Amino acid sequence: MSWILHRIDDRLIHGQVLIAWGERLHPKRIWVVDDASAANPWERELLATSSTEIEVRVVTVLEAAAAYAEEAAAAGGAFLLVRDLATAQGLAASGAPVPAYNVGGLHYAPGKDKVHDYVYLDAGDRAAARWLLARGVALHVQDVPASRPLPLESLDASLGSVPGEASR
Amino acid sequence: MARVPGLLVTHADLADALVRAAERVYGPVEELERLSNEGLSRHALEDAIAERVGAWSNGGIVFIDFWGGSCFTCGMSAARGREVVVLTGINLPTLLDYLHNRDRFGVVELAERLRAKGQDSVRLQRAPGA
Repeated sequence: MSWILHRIDDRLIHGQVLIAWGERLHPKRIWVVDDASAANPWERELLATSSTEIEVRVVTVLEAAAAYAEEAAAAGGAFLLVRDLATAQGLAASGAPVPAYNVGGLHYAPGKDKVHDYVYLDAGDRAAARWLLARGVALHVQDVPASRPLPLESLDASLGSVPGEASR
Repeated sequence: MARVPGLLVTHADLADALVRAAERVYGPVEELERLSNEGLSRHALEDAIAERVGAWSNGGIVFIDFWGGSCFTCGMSAARGREVVVLTGINLPTLLDYLHNRDRFGVVELAERLRAKGQDSVRLQRAPGA
């Protein structure tokens, strides 16, 4: 069973992940793939205490790539969270065959412009998105299960459209 | 006894709604900051909380709607290294007790009192004859 959600969200673990997706999919583990958080004991502890029911693992991109196949075969469902498109790109480049990401939240920051209510992109984000899309990694914008998933490339003309995705 | 400052950090407009409801019972509420996580990234929300609690010279209480959400993680990060207590599960009885007692207790003593108050306010009662 294992991987049941791959999500790009700059808030990492938060209410939508724990409550909306968690209550729907009931993961046993959440993998937070984030080099900065993994290097920070305080941050690791904070993320680990976010849930009393789900095991939280905070790992680097390289650690996640190395463990990806083993987790895929593990019992129980797992979520994988990254904070941005660049990390998703790094994970794929490191060998993790993630087929699709739920783009759950990339909030405003200076230099980013709006493509959806909760998705803002800059040039670096777009370059990473194009890299992922070109390798067949689907990017669906959807904050909570009750929302309709939208292909990211359908919201941003600069990303073009990928055959079979635009009509979803 | 100096007043214990408070900050409500919640999803959507819950903080504003709680204060409006409290004012119906308590009267006008002053010196209570509110913050929504609406549209804010993790860093932006953490910075917004840190800016507010950084102005507290003797600590204070950050009230959060629920454990584990972005308000919680950002509140915890902003409170780090400061005399600031994070209290999750804010509800109307807790807020009212804070307003009535924020000039009577120190930060930790008040926070412990409010936790007990909030927990005690959640009750299950079946009507007789049901």
